[in-house]
Amino acid sequence: MVFYADFCLPFIAGAAVMFAAVVIKYTVWLVQLPAADKRLILKGLPTRRTLDAVVETVRESLLHRRIFRVNPVLGYMHMSLAFGWFLLIVTGWIETMAYVGLHWVPLQGHVFFKYFMPANGIADHKPWFDFVMDLLLLFVLSGVALAWFKRMRSRALGMRRTTRHIIFDRVALTSLWFVFPARLAAESITCALWGGGSFLTAGTGSLLSGVFGRAALEAAYQPVWWFYSCALGVFFAAMPFSRYMHIFTEVPLIFLRAYRVRPESAAKSYDNFEIQACSRCGICIDPCQLQSSLGIDEVQSVYFLRDRRYRMLQHKVADNCLMCGRCEQVCPVGINLNTLRLNARSSSRDRCDESRYAYLSGIDRSSGEGRTGYFAGCMTRLTPRTMESMARIFDAAGEQVWWADREGGVCCGRPLKLSGEVEAARRMVESNSELFRRHGITTLVTSCPICLREFRETYRLDGVEILHHSEYILRLIRAGRLHLRRDAGALYTYHDPCELGRGCGIYDEPRAVIESVGRLVEPAHTRENALCCGSSLANTVIDDPCQLTIARDVARELEATAAGSVVTACPQCKKALSRGTTCQVADLSEIVAASL
Amino acid sequence: MRHVIVIGGGVAGLQCATQLARTGVRVTLLEKEPRAGGKLLGWNSLFPSITPAAEVIGPLVEEAERSANIDLRTGCEVRSVGTGEVTLADGERIACDATVIATGFTIFDATVKEEYGYGLYDNVVTSVDLERMFGEGSVLLRDGSAPRRIAILHCVGSRDEKVCQRHCSKVCCVTGVKQAIELKRLYPSAEIYNFYMDLRMFGPGYEEMYREAQQQYNINFVRGRISEVSPTFEGRLQIKAEDTLTGRPLKMGVDMLVLMVGMKANAMNAVLAAEVEGLQMQPSGFMQPRDPFTGNVCSRSEGIFYAGAVTAPKNVCESLGEGMAAANSVVRWLDEQATRQNRTEEAR
Amino acid sequence: MTDFGYTVSKPRRIDIDRNDMTLCDGILSSMPELQTCIGCGTCTAVCTAGNLTDFNFRRVHTLVRRGEYRGAYEAMNKCMLCGKCRLACPRGINTRAVVLLLKERLKGM
Repeated sequence: MVFYADFCLPFIAGAAVMFAAVVIKYTVWLVQLPAADKRLILKGLPTRRTLDAVVETVRESLLHRRIFRVNPVLGYMHMSLAFGWFLLIVTGWIETMAYVGLHWVPLQGHVFFKYFMPANGIADHKPWFDFVMDLLLLFVLSGVALAWFKRMRSRALGMRRTTRHIIFDRVALTSLWFVFPARLAAESITCALWGGGSFLTAGTGSLLSGVFGRAALEAAYQPVWWFYSCALGVFFAAMPFSRYMHIFTEVPLIFLRAYRVRPESAAKSYDNFEIQACSRCGICIDPCQLQSSLGIDEVQSVYFLRDRRYRMLQHKVADNCLMCGRCEQVCPVGINLNTLRLNARSSSRDRCDESRYAYLSGIDRSSGEGRTGYFAGCMTRLTPRTMESMARIFDAAGEQVWWADREGGVCCGRPLKLSGEVEAARRMVESNSELFRRHGITTLVTSCPICLREFRETYRLDGVEILHHSEYILRLIRAGRLHLRRDAGALYTYHDPCELGRGCGIYDEPRAVIESVGRLVEPAHTRENALCCGSSLANTVIDDPCQLTIARDVARELEATAAGSVVTACPQCKKALSRGTTCQVADLSEIVAASL
Repeated sequence: MRHVIVIGGGVAGLQCATQLARTGVRVTLLEKEPRAGGKLLGWNSLFPSITPAAEVIGPLVEEAERSANIDLRTGCEVRSVGTGEVTLADGERIACDATVIATGFTIFDATVKEEYGYGLYDNVVTSVDLERMFGEGSVLLRDGSAPRRIAILHCVGSRDEKVCQRHCSKVCCVTGVKQAIELKRLYPSAEIYNFYMDLRMFGPGYEEMYREAQQQYNINFVRGRISEVSPTFEGRLQIKAEDTLTGRPLKMGVDMLVLMVGMKANAMNAVLAAEVEGLQMQPSGFMQPRDPFTGNVCSRSEGIFYAGAVTAPKNVCESLGEGMAAANSVVRWLDEQATRQNRTEEAR
Repeated sequence: MTDFGYTVSKPRRIDIDRNDMTLCDGILSSMPELQTCIGCGTCTAVCTAGNLTDFNFRRVHTLVRRGEYRGAYEAMNKCMLCGKCRLACPRGINTRAVVLLLKERLKGM
C-alpha cells in the first residue's frame, strides 16, 4: 500500500514547517532559561509533579475545564475543537492500525485514510470506526459552527467583546474554519463514490450525489481533497506564528509551572511560554474596567500579550493597566498577566545609577518605642483619620508602638516597581529594611495594602511578622485586647482593595472586623471579583476624569447595597471612592476606633 | 390677585418676595428652616465694610413678616416644582402664576478634605464656625485660651478637582481677608497667615481692604496651598505648604487653622433639572440661567425664575440685586401673559 | 548641596527668545493637562522626596515649560513616584505621568 498522492504535498509541507518551528522555539527558550530555572526543572522531573502536570494537561489543554467554569458555551467551543480533534487523531490512528496492522504509515496516511482506503477497497470493512469518526467530526463541526457564530455575534456567547486579530491569526483562523467542513466534503464525496461512512459522511454523500449527480462528484473528487490538504497545510504553516501556537505551548507551560518556574520582575525566556500559551480567547476583556467604564479597548491583557509577542508593544499599552488582577483571576490558562506586564515595563525603563537615591542613606524620622512597628505609608498621610484611629486602637490595646514614618519617611518602593523601575525600588527596600532592623521590631503593621504587598513580596525581614491592620485588629479583638461595642443596626458595605484582596489574599479579616462592630452587606462584585477603585498606582496613563468615572461606577455599586457607610482598608481606595459618592467612606480602623 | 411662590427665604428670596409684595403681587415665601434669613442668620459681618449682617437681613425679614401680601411659611420643604404649582414635602400642592427659585447653595463639608483635619483635630475651624464665634463675641481655642498664631487657608472646596468642585466660590478670598482683619482686631498681638492660590479682589472696596490688611494689620500672605495638617506634641497644629514665591517647602506650628469653605451646589438642583422641563444644570451643579447677560434670573422654563446663588456662587450684594431683578422680570412676564390673554379673548 | 544648575546657571534670566521651546512643546502636546497647573505648590508640599531633599516638582516642571531643561532629568530622578502629589493636585494633573514623561524626554539634557 502506498500512502502518497500529489494532493498531500501542501499538508506535508505545512506540517514540516509547524514541527520545525515549534521544536526550534521550545529549544531556544529552554536553553535560554536562567540556570536556577533549569535546576528547578531537573529537580522536579522525577517527582509527583510530573504526574500532576500530565493530569492538568488533559484537564486544561483538552477539556478546558477553566473556560467551562467562566463561560460554559465558550468552554464547549474550545473543548469540542481541542478534545474533538485530538480524539479524531487518536481514533484515526487506531483505525489505521486496525486495517493495516502494526506497520509504519506516514502521517498523511493517517490524515487522509479515507482517500487511501475507501470502504469498497477493503476486504473486511469495520463500520464501527466510520460511526465513531463521524460522531467525532460532528462534535468538532459543532465547535466550528460556534466559532463562526462567535465571530459574528460575540454577545450571544456571553461575551461583550471578542478579540481583534492580526494577519497571521486571520490566515490561520480562516484556514481552520475550512479544515473541518473541507474534511466533511472530501469524505462525504468519497463515501458517495466508493461507499463506507456512517450517518454524517454517508448521509451527506448521498445527499450530494442526489443533488449534483455522480458525474459532478467524480469531477470534484480530486479538487476537494486538494482543498482539504491545502486548508490543513496553510493552518499548520501559520500556526506557530499565530495565536494557535497556544495549542502546543500550554503543555510545556503546565509542566514548567508544575516545576515551580515563575515569571519575575525582570523579563526572561520563560515568559515566552506564558505569552504564547495565550489563546486570545478574550475572556480577559470583559472584566477589565478600563473597557467597561471607559470604553478603552486596545490595552487589555490579550492585546498586551499579542503586542509583546510580536514586538510592537508601546508604552501607552503597557502602562495603561490598573493591574487590579481581575483578568488574571479569570484567565483560563492562568497566565501571570500582572507580572508579565510589570517586566515589560521594567525592560524598557529600569535604570538606576548609584548616586540616584544616595539621599536615602541613614534616613530615620521614626518616633516612639516598641516591638510593634507601624508604617503608615505615603498615602495614609493624606488620610489622617486612619492614623489617628490607629493611635487610638494601639492605646486601647496597650500596645507600645514604634512609629516608622509619622514625621515622613521613605516610600515602600512599590510605586516605582509598578512603573517598571525595579532597581530604583530596591533602594527604597534597602533603606526601609535597614530602618526596621535598626529598631528591632518583631511585628510590622501597615494600613496601606500597597506597602503590605511590597513588604511581603520583596522585603526580606527575618523575624518580623508583617501584618495588615485588618489582620492586626482582628488579632487584638480575638485576644480580648480590644473591647468593641457592636451596633447591630449599623450597616456597612466593604470594598476589597486590589492589593489586599487579589494581591495578598486577605478577604476574611476585614470582614470579620466589620462584623464585630456592625453588620456587613456585600456589593454585587466582591472578594476575588471585587472592582478596582480606578486610582491604582499601576496605571500612569488614564487621567483624572477617567479615574473619577471608574470611582463613580464602583461607588454606585456600593451605594446599591443601601449600607450607611462604605468601608475599605486602603488609603488610595478611600480617597478615590469618596470622590465618587456622597456616602460616608471610612477606613476599617475608623469604624473600629469609633466603637471603642 | 396674581400669586407668586418664592422658594428660599435667604437674602435673594427675601429681597425678591418683598419687592413683589410692594408691587401688589401676592407672595408665598417657602423657607425650609424654622426661621427666614438663610445663611446670613449665622453670619456676623459682611465684607468689605464689616457691616453687621443683621443690618442687612433684619429689615428684610421684618418686612416679609409684616407685609400683608406675603405668606411666609417656615419649616416648609419643597418636594417638587411644576408648571403653575409647587408641591411641598408633606404633599400639599400650592398653585401659582410664577415661581422664583432662590434656594441658594450648600456650604462645602470640610470633613471631605480629610488632610486638613476638620472634625479630627481641635482648633481646625471653618469660616462659618469663625463667623459664629465672632457673633458670640469670643474666639478661643478648645482649651479656652486665646490663639497666638492663626493660619487661614483659602479655597477649601473650591477650585479643587479632587472634591469635584471645579468652580471658584468667589466670596472666600475676600472673607479670608475680612476675617483676618477681625481676628487681628480681636487679638492685636496674634500672628495671622493667609495661605492662598490666587487672591481675587474683584469688588468695590475689596482691594482696599486687602491693602489695609497688609499695611495696617501686618497680616502675612503666603502664596501656597496647605497640603497637610498634623497635631504636634504640644497640642498645636503643624501645617505644611510650599511657599511658592520662594520655591521652598514651609512648615509651621499654629494654634488655630481657619478653612475658607466654598459654596457647593444644592443636591436638589439635580432633581430640579431632571424633573422640570426646561430647567438645566451646569457642570458645576448650579442651575443654568437662560443666558448669562440679559436672562440671568430667567430659566428656560416659562414662569420659573432664579434669584441668587442657585445659579452660581454670589456675594450678598449680587444676591440682593438678583432678588430685585427677578421680581422685576416676574412682574413683566405676568403682565405679558395678561396682555396675551386679553388679546386672545378679544379675538374671540 | 547638590547643584541642579538652576541657581547658578548663567545668564540667570530665562530667555524665552533663545530657549529651544520645541522640546517643551512636545512635552505639552503629549501631556496637555500640565498646562492647567496653577502653581499652588501642593505637589511640592506633600512630596515624599521633597521632604528629604531639595527636589521641587512644581519649580522643575515650570522651568521645563519655560524651556529650561538643564538638570530637570536629574531632579526628576529624585522622585519616588509615591503618588501623593497626584492624590492632592487640585487640578487633577497626572503628576506621575509627568515625571515619567520628563525622564523619558529630557534624558541627557
